[in-house]
Amino acid sequence: MKEPEDQILVQRALRADPKSFGELCRRYYNSLVAMAHSILPDHHLAEDAAQEALAEACRQLPKLKRPELFGPWIGAICRNVAKDMLREVLRERRAAYAHPRCEQDRAEDEQKAILVEALQHLPEHLREVVFLRFYNEKSYEQMAKILGATEQIIDGRLRRAKKIIAGYLKKKGFRR
Amino acid sequence: MKHNNDNQWLEALLSRHIYRESVKFDFSKWTERYPDEARLLCFGFEDSGQSMKTTIFNVWRFIMESKVTKYSAAAVVALAITLVLLSPFGTPGNSGIVLANVQQKVAGIKTMIIRGTKTFTRPGEDGEVFEFNGIKCQFDLVKYSSIKHGLVEEGYVGDELIYRFTFNRPKRQTLLVLPPWKKYGTFTSTDKQMQLLENLTPKGIINLLLEGFHRELGRDDINGVEVEVFEFQDTEPFIGLGSKPILDIQSLKGKVWIGIEEQLPVRVEGDFFIGKSLMTMFNDLNLREVNTFGEYNVELDEEIFDIKPPEGYTELTLSDILSLIPAEAKAGLVGLGIVPAGFIVWKRFRRKRTRANQH
Repeated sequence: MKEPEDQILVQRALRADPKSFGELCRRYYNSLVAMAHSILPDHHLAEDAAQEALAEACRQLPKLKRPELFGPWIGAICRNVAKDMLREVLRERRAAYAHPRCEQDRAEDEQKAILVEALQHLPEHLREVVFLRFYNEKSYEQMAKILGATEQIIDGRLRRAKKIIAGYLKKKGFRR
Repeated sequence: MKHNNDNQWLEALLSRHIYRESVKFDFSKWTERYPDEARLLCFGFEDSGQSMKTTIFNVWRFIMESKVTKYSAAAVVALAITLVLLSPFGTPGNSGIVLANVQQKVAGIKTMIIRGTKTFTRPGEDGEVFEFNGIKCQFDLVKYSSIKHGLVEEGYVGDELIYRFTFNRPKRQTLLVLPPWKKYGTFTSTDKQMQLLENLTPKGIINLLLEGFHRELGRDDINGVEVEVFEFQDTEPFIGLGSKPILDIQSLKGKVWIGIEEQLPVRVEGDFFIGKSLMTMFNDLNLREVNTFGEYNVELDEEIFDIKPPEGYTELTLSDILSLIPAEAKAGLVGLGIVPAGFIVWKRFRRKRTRANQH
């Protein structure tokens, strides 16, 4: 059976149908976690950010002018929520670590730490694509839905991201 | 779309580093974590004034995070403690409703008399009252409820008693009496029906409020009694009350008015949408029920809960029910598997044969 379009679920949710919003949440949750994890250092924080983004989306749902663009809209909310959380996390941890994740990981595994650094060096929109692609192995179609971009654009971003990462790793003497 | 790449080692590395199993989203846990949002989803957004609410939250956050507020709050708490200890204004409790307190209070109610109205209307026909067999289904109600004995519900049109349901709790039996037709029916009460009996008492209503989604609508005044109004929406207690072909409650929205001073429900309104089923004679109908409370812990005669059929009444049979149902609705009975198709055909055949013999 064909699943209802996002816009139908949004309209139903606005007419007091919680199940429809639940369906939207299920549809996008994993993408949102991946997206948040591209910004936040910790998987649990990323889940928190995704859930907070869904709550924010629920509150703002009547303001969504184009329900067919629910995916990119919730994606943007999640990005903002994750950035807010990152600022908070960094403020809390600054006293202890200069860059918490890198320092901690370096001690555990130097190579892994270099990869983390490489990901950190990526521009945000490229890092997001990498996380969406490799986090839950999202298809280009699924990624296009939440990023509001064409598959060609996503493919281009992924290529550029990999090129930058490969270059960085080479420069740091990363062994394959 | 996948491009030809010479970076397969990198893909494997990224996948190994970043990949995680998909997480299953648990919507019920999310609603527990965000109850305000869950309420919004349940009750709709039309009158939520969300943008205003968000602004207010932000302003409150700003105020509450300020140091001045924290010191002032500390001072107010200290003052409040002093006032409560010295108790210069009597006991607190008139400032609002705490449902848990109400729940505790209604637990002590043993009997009550409820009055109200029950109106069946056709959906989308601007409140046209449903008419069945010459009777407009707009009843004045009197209910007698006893924790020990059960519940009696009487429906009147004018002064005429149209029906009386008697749920006898100890015997787990229900008696339906229909005086206009001198008919009665008896049924065994299911656990679910007994549970509904609880739900129809103030105790049950407060439990419904506490268990399900509800929201406060603010204060009101009913006949000089200051009340607080709550809205609830939960069909769960009614699911399984009867099988769908018998009673198909599809939605419910209700309001409860709770007296601020008495901390007891004063009035309950419920709007049901009932799908085509035997109880609605195979019509989609809206049911609006209004109950007013007030007569608590009154003495009720045990005899009114008696389930002995009145004298001169005959038992309601399937044939009686079929004769009251319009022809087009009978197809619904067959379709829902309540009555075998052969029975309807046989009844029609017998009626035709009788008519032919009379002529």
